[in-house]
Amino acid sequence: MLQYSFMRNALVAASLVSLLCPLIGTFVVLKKYSMLGDTLSHTSFAGIALGIAFGFNPILSAFIFTAFAGIIIELLRSKYEKYEELIMVIVLTLGVGIGITMVSSGTVSTNIDSYLFGSILTVSKNDLYTIFVLSIISIITIFFLYHKLIYITFDEEGAQVSGLNVKLINYIFMVLVSATVSVSLRIMGILVISSMIAVPVATSLQLNKSFKYTLYFFCNIWFYRYNFRFNSFIIFKCSTWGPNSSCINICINHSYNNKRDCIIYD
Amino acid sequence: MVNLQNVCFGYTNGKPVIDNLSINIEDGAYLSVIGENGSGKSTLIKLILGFYKPSAGKISIETDRIGYVSQRIGNFNNKFPITIYELLYCHLRAIKCSDKNQILLALNMVGMESYRNKLIGNLSGGQIQRIFIAKALLGNPQLLIFDEIFTGVDEKTQIEINDILTKINKEGITILAVDHNLNNVYKNSSHILKLINGRGIIYNKETFMDKEASYASI
Repeated sequence: MLQYSFMRNALVAASLVSLLCPLIGTFVVLKKYSMLGDTLSHTSFAGIALGIAFGFNPILSAFIFTAFAGIIIELLRSKYEKYEELIMVIVLTLGVGIGITMVSSGTVSTNIDSYLFGSILTVSKNDLYTIFVLSIISIITIFFLYHKLIYITFDEEGAQVSGLNVKLINYIFMVLVSATVSVSLRIMGILVISSMIAVPVATSLQLNKSFKYTLYFFCNIWFYRYNFRFNSFIIFKCSTWGPNSSCINICINHSYNNKRDCIIYD
Repeated sequence: MVNLQNVCFGYTNGKPVIDNLSINIEDGAYLSVIGENGSGKSTLIKLILGFYKPSAGKISIETDRIGYVSQRIGNFNNKFPITIYELLYCHLRAIKCSDKNQILLALNMVGMESYRNKLIGNLSGGQIQRIFIAKALLGNPQLLIFDEIFTGVDEKTQIEINDILTKINKEGITILAVDHNLNNVYKNSSHILKLINGRGIIYNKETFMDKEASYASI
């Protein structure tokens, strides 16, 4: 099976996404930004349309546009404190509006459906390079900001008093979410990305364990899903397999979850 | 330790919340801030912490080692999957301190050492406040700021936490605390700042207790 280059591309791209999504998704959900993935993925529609219309790499143009949208969301968050959802709706509408205008004007000739619904087998070498670079930079950044991100996610005010540059880290985080959305576009499609970021966290949260364990468990869910169920993905070409299996996981974990105490952490 | 000179602050186009306030908090003092709702207590704390910038006047703090505990109960996500140790370790990293033993020492000081591997959401309100006090104690702070930490905490736990605060203050750490409970204020404070419409009057403990009857309505 792996003698085909499209299969190798698909496997590498899926593996990278399977590492990046849990890392970012845990912070996104715990920050109560579950809708952020949806907003940025819909905004990426405009980025893809602009990229195709002007002849750029669509993943890269989607990243630039979603990063810009993420920074706007973060900028407006301080103005509309406690109304983050409102900002997300405004930015989502802006992105979808620009995308639809571009597509209906006829300037976007390529079939944009593959970006809407995802197509794991059509990941090209160029796409793979972009996905690889964005994923590696994002994973390294999260590694360096890991403890700071946990602290800010749990207690933004406390983190600020302790001397962390909360605003800067929040902006970097938005760019990281944008990168995650952009690298996942080709595989999962605009319409499904947000569930891929949010739903597995719901599974791992059922365990009521430490942050480290929650993240570790989430990574495992993804890794198994992408690499051991890889054949199922291709045979069914079914992007919604992920959220469905997550729902099953939630049910299993909920019945399993009797203890609330966590593992020993040292 | 903390010096405010003619500090003024107001929210957008409203009347000033802090009006020409000048106070000096000496090293090792325990200053309690009291006043009615809307008198500017929390605004004063946020000005000192640097969340807001004064529209006039100057605030100078001699140390950058500040511990802060705010009114947490009901305010934070108690479903957050984080253990006490993880939380304190993240704080330790944030204040650029590498001595992990401080975590156990701080937990020991507030009597919560055995809870280090528990999730924060599994603790009671009083226990959570103790954990946040332990967090504020990391990195050997010179100034501790508490904003209404007894809200929602029962009488017994208040007494226990008060004992911890008195112990910390006796070790020479300056404490600035907003409190509504006059019993706590009498018991702990060396000085009391009463805020009325953004203006302040400072009393030492003795003069304040002499006027106890007249302030019973605060």
